[in-house]
Amino acid sequence: MIATFFFLALLQIKVPDAAAIVGQPQGVPLTGSQLEQRTMAISAELRCPVCQGLAIGDSPSIMAANMKAQVRELLERGYTEEQILSYFEKSYGQFVLLKPKFQGVNALVWILPIAVLAIGFVLVVSKAKKLEVAPAVKSEEPADDPYLARVREMVDKS
Amino acid sequence: MNRTVLIIGIIIVAAIVFILFAGLGKDPQHIDSPLIGKPAPPFTLKSVNTGETIDLQSLRGKPVIVNFWATWCVPCYEEHPTLVANARQLPNVQFIGVVFNDTEEKINRFLAERGSAYPTLLDANGKTAIAYGVGGVPETYFINPAGTIVAKFEGPLSTEQLQENLAKALR
Repeated sequence: MIATFFFLALLQIKVPDAAAIVGQPQGVPLTGSQLEQRTMAISAELRCPVCQGLAIGDSPSIMAANMKAQVRELLERGYTEEQILSYFEKSYGQFVLLKPKFQGVNALVWILPIAVLAIGFVLVVSKAKKLEVAPAVKSEEPADDPYLARVREMVDKS
Repeated sequence: MNRTVLIIGIIIVAAIVFILFAGLGKDPQHIDSPLIGKPAPPFTLKSVNTGETIDLQSLRGKPVIVNFWATWCVPCYEEHPTLVANARQLPNVQFIGVVFNDTEEKINRFLAERGSAYPTLLDANGKTAIAYGVGGVPETYFINPAGTIVAKFEGPLSTEQLQENLAKALR
């Protein structure tokens, strides 16, 4: 990474830096297996912009590979997960986050399933309560049923 | 009770139909850029075709059109003549091509075969593209003389689309 920095400086090349977008790193620079694990974990949270619902960690596209390399580099520099997600969100918007934030219209994604479950639960409970208090069906035969009277008459005759 | 269930059902179905209807005709690949109205991310990149180093910030004072493309992108072949023709006709507008994940050799061959009228910069690791929220190529950003991104266009530009978006940078 340092070698790349000096090489780019030699060429007088400057690419947009994360520090200008999300400030200085607020975490600990990662290396080795910890770096690989965190890279994979954060890559699973970022949507590949050229794919259909794939995380950058699962996509074979060039764009996803660039983004994954950027995640890795930011972790090496000590950026936290929150800063890295914020860095990509500032360029791509909330679209890039596979787990939408609990704010604005996105809050509906979290609220609606719970609301639908709660409404269903209330309906079931209220229906069950009505069944419990419903009066028992009368088993007495109506006294003036002509059909029953005729049956009785036929039985008595036989 | 049945009436309540019916009303709730109608509300849920209406909401689903509304969401589906609102999404009809929209490009599923389209990304609303949060950078519209924000300062363009600064970059200094080397031009493949002219050899000079271009610093975006040094171009303040005139509208800039930044076109992200690549030689492996088929729609970029279709768009290239439009950009070259407009760049020749609009000397007061700075056109910049930014190519990512490509090689100088392929870019130079492409430009030699199809013409060139503005600097083409190499974004070797795609960092500039990421900072601009580029989803795919071609993608074009229109920057006003104050250095603010005023429009983003996804896909190959026609002259009408280019001029329509450029007008936003000239307001």
